[in-house]
Amino acid sequence: MRVLLDGLLRNRKALVGAIILVLVLLAAIAAPLLTQYDPSARVGRPHQPPSWNHLMGTTRIGQDVFARLLYGARTSLAVGFGAGLLITAVGTALGIIAGYRGGKTDEVISFLTNMVLVVPNLPLLLVLAAFIGQASPFVIALILGLTSWAWGARVTRAETLSLKQKDFVKAAEMIGEPQWRIMTFEIFPNLISIVGINFIGSVIFAIITEATLEFLGLGDPRAISWGTMLYNAQKASALSVGAWWEILIPCFALALLGLGMSLLNFAIDEVANPRLRTGNWRDRWILLARSGEGRL
Amino acid sequence: MNHPLLSVKNLTIDYIGDRKDFRAVDDVSFDIAPGEVFGLAGESGCGKSTIAFAISRLHKPPALIRRQSKILLNGRDVLDLTPQALAAFRWREVAMVFQSAMNSLNPVSRIGDQFHDVLMSHTTMTKAQARERAAEMLRLVDISPDRLRDYPHQFSGGMRQRIVIAICMALDPKLVIMDEPTTALDVVVQREILQRINDLRRTFGFSVLFITHDLGLMVQFCDRIGIMLAGRLVEENAAEAIFQTPGHDYTKKLWSSFPSLHGGALL
Amino acid sequence: MAFLFRRLGFYLAAFVAAATINFFLPRLMPGDPVQIMFSSAGAELPPESLQSLKLTFGFVDGPLWQQYITYLGSIFTGDLGRSIKYFPAPVTAVLGQALVWTVGLMGIATVISFTIGSLLGVLAAWRRGSAFDVIVSVGAIFATSVPAVVTSLIVVFVFGFTLGWFPSGYAADPRLDPAFSLQYIGSVLYHGFLPMVTLCAVLTGGFAVTMRNNMINLLGEDYVVMGRAKGLSDHHVMIWYAARNALLPTVSSLAIAIGTILGGSLVTEVVFNYPGLGNILYQAILARDYPVIQGQLLIMTATMLIANFIVDVSYVLLDPRLKGAL
Ligand SMILES: Nc1ncnc2c1ncn2[C@@H]1O[C@H](COP(=O)(O)OP(=O)(O)OP(=O)(O)O)[C@@H](O)[C@H]1O
Ligand SMILES: [Mg+2]
Repeated sequence: MRVLLDGLLRNRKALVGAIILVLVLLAAIAAPLLTQYDPSARVGRPHQPPSWNHLMGTTRIGQDVFARLLYGARTSLAVGFGAGLLITAVGTALGIIAGYRGGKTDEVISFLTNMVLVVPNLPLLLVLAAFIGQASPFVIALILGLTSWAWGARVTRAETLSLKQKDFVKAAEMIGEPQWRIMTFEIFPNLISIVGINFIGSVIFAIITEATLEFLGLGDPRAISWGTMLYNAQKASALSVGAWWEILIPCFALALLGLGMSLLNFAIDEVANPRLRTGNWRDRWILLARSGEGRL
Repeated sequence: MNHPLLSVKNLTIDYIGDRKDFRAVDDVSFDIAPGEVFGLAGESGCGKSTIAFAISRLHKPPALIRRQSKILLNGRDVLDLTPQALAAFRWREVAMVFQSAMNSLNPVSRIGDQFHDVLMSHTTMTKAQARERAAEMLRLVDISPDRLRDYPHQFSGGMRQRIVIAICMALDPKLVIMDEPTTALDVVVQREILQRINDLRRTFGFSVLFITHDLGLMVQFCDRIGIMLAGRLVEENAAEAIFQTPGHDYTKKLWSSFPSLHGGALL
Repeated sequence: MAFLFRRLGFYLAAFVAAATINFFLPRLMPGDPVQIMFSSAGAELPPESLQSLKLTFGFVDGPLWQQYITYLGSIFTGDLGRSIKYFPAPVTAVLGQALVWTVGLMGIATVISFTIGSLLGVLAAWRRGSAFDVIVSVGAIFATSVPAVVTSLIVVFVFGFTLGWFPSGYAADPRLDPAFSLQYIGSVLYHGFLPMVTLCAVLTGGFAVTMRNNMINLLGEDYVVMGRAKGLSDHHVMIWYAARNALLPTVSSLAIAIGTILGGSLVTEVVFNYPGLGNILYQAILARDYPVIQGQLLIMTATMLIANFIVDVSYVLLDPRLKGAL
């Protein structure tokens, strides 16, 4: 854990990713301070291009795009992190239980996991959302959490299997620790980097998928989120009438948040898997080789 | 020794780290005469494989061979070779058996192809000649030539190691580096393989750089032995002498950790 | 052979699972689901469609298990019911034609981006730390982190609307009759170009990262080092020793990526107004055409399972250690 944090603090990708995430977070929290407009109210004439009054223009029904963007960030982040947490919790728990208990338990969980992995995720979500009707962001987070844990479970299981053979687990078994204690206090702490990658990957997935479901018209169109912004803009043919701001601005917001989260993810991957790391030594090596101090 | 085949001089190798470097090989010098078997012994992590890699110039960053180092093969510094000369030099002059027997054959290509690629890129042989040569080499290590079309996983560990040795012989090299060629194998197979190497050596007359943990094995197999400790070569002498009258304290300690040598002459 | 049969059995089970979800969802709706669907679809439906809608969801007289058997039976005989929006067209007909475009788009994009992505990953890993590696790695991070919706919208904005280089709708010029003529094929290529490029842009980065990581993880393997020690040319070792082995884990990760590819292609089709499954589905969602939405899940699942099976077979063919499995 310490090593992981230490490594992350010194990683450039992690730094940039964290800065992006914090900026979006601050913008979401401080939304009422940054704009005077109500995000769902009609506050201007339709399809106004960006101006001093409306920094990012207005939508077809005259809502302020900047205000919607700021308040929408709250939804995207909440759904992303909420669903991400749920996905990770379910995946990690199932993975550890399957890997550690083995036997029948493992067979059942693995079968389920593999099953979920071969049923295409987006089409399944489309069907679920369609039957729920106009799904609120909260409901979307919930169904994401319940349908998307399979990848995490598989990876966690594989790692648990190898941890199970380690001495400290054997020692804990020897002194008769109960299974749940071994799983929570011996195995889980050693999976922390996998859990981290799983969590951030799940957050990215949830943010993207929420936006996609809403864009496809399965969300609640009155909710204020980046996905519904895209949906309303697409329905208003924003691009063909030249109102690019209505569509490109939530696009860039999604891209930026996705980028920030991915950078964090790659950083954890590098810190956890030393082979992928391009450390400081490379610069030092090149310097020495160039100055003729050594060769290969 | 008037004309050593291989002459390593002041070999110093660092692994460059993020803040400070790790000196894996520290000012090591030794010679190997034509036809001689030179043994390198020492505990795990003392830098044996690092030396072996340097001789074939296989290192990649973060390894760095320091400026003062020289590796002369027949008087020519291996470290000065151009990329083309290096490609021609590898395997033709120095061939190598790697530490893990199981893992040094490409798992997705046929044994025959792993002979062919080396023969085709170093000689002007035709396909048929290459096949003939490969069959001949396999026979040398007692493997039937009709198994050339098989994949590595179809052979046992000992057979795979013999195949690697056969590939080593394909170009008739002057020096064969053997980095713990028998660690992964059981004692009987181990002996069998060493026996085979020794026969081949008599036939072809190449020199061997032999690396191992197993001092008993080493004394029986090598002409001369170098003892390494933490990157330095602390003692170097004829095998007999190292065994009978070890000079360095570390060598004595090494002997005492091997109380019973495999009795009898192996070779 | 046994291995592949086991996989087939598993796929069958997965397909039944998807069908089971379809069967139970309407039954979990409060009230009379068929009535609700009927009314939410608008009032213009002929009354006889109510009956066919009931059949579509397996609401026959009898206990639940009997309904279930009937439902599975009709699905396995290729009857997915009738569409509400295009009543009385059967769902299979509505989706069938669209499927051709989707599979074409998806298949070609997968092949192209897998090839390019893997190649980039191989080269980047081989020249680790070089400028090329940095460009590929950073580019891949960008490509993988931007949602497909966003990429599609930006591409359509720039090339479709602003520059006007490419059409932003339809699979071919609607004035042309589908025929095996040069003009028609040209039109198909012209119309398919942007969605194809977008989909490739979305997918390539992921394949590059996977391949690069797999390569890096095996560059230290003894057989790769032995390939170098043998004095073979650099690109021979790179391709036949390193990349050829790194291909195996990359191909097996392709199986998991297929879901993402499907999702990406659905979204791309909607944005480009491309008449594949995604677009039909979009229309179906707007019209709350439940039979089509459900049918899409089954067809997508089948597509995914077939793709998975292709991956299984190619894995077995690529890895000589599994020779006995075929
Ligand atoms: N890529 C590397 N980066 C940093 N240090 C390394 C690297 N490779 C090897 N070392 C260090 O160099 C030292 C020598 O390693 P080497 O592989 O030569 O040992 P060895 O004598 O062959 O050991 P063994 O008998 O276990 O094979 C070891 O302490 C090792 O930790
Ligand atoms: Mg070694």
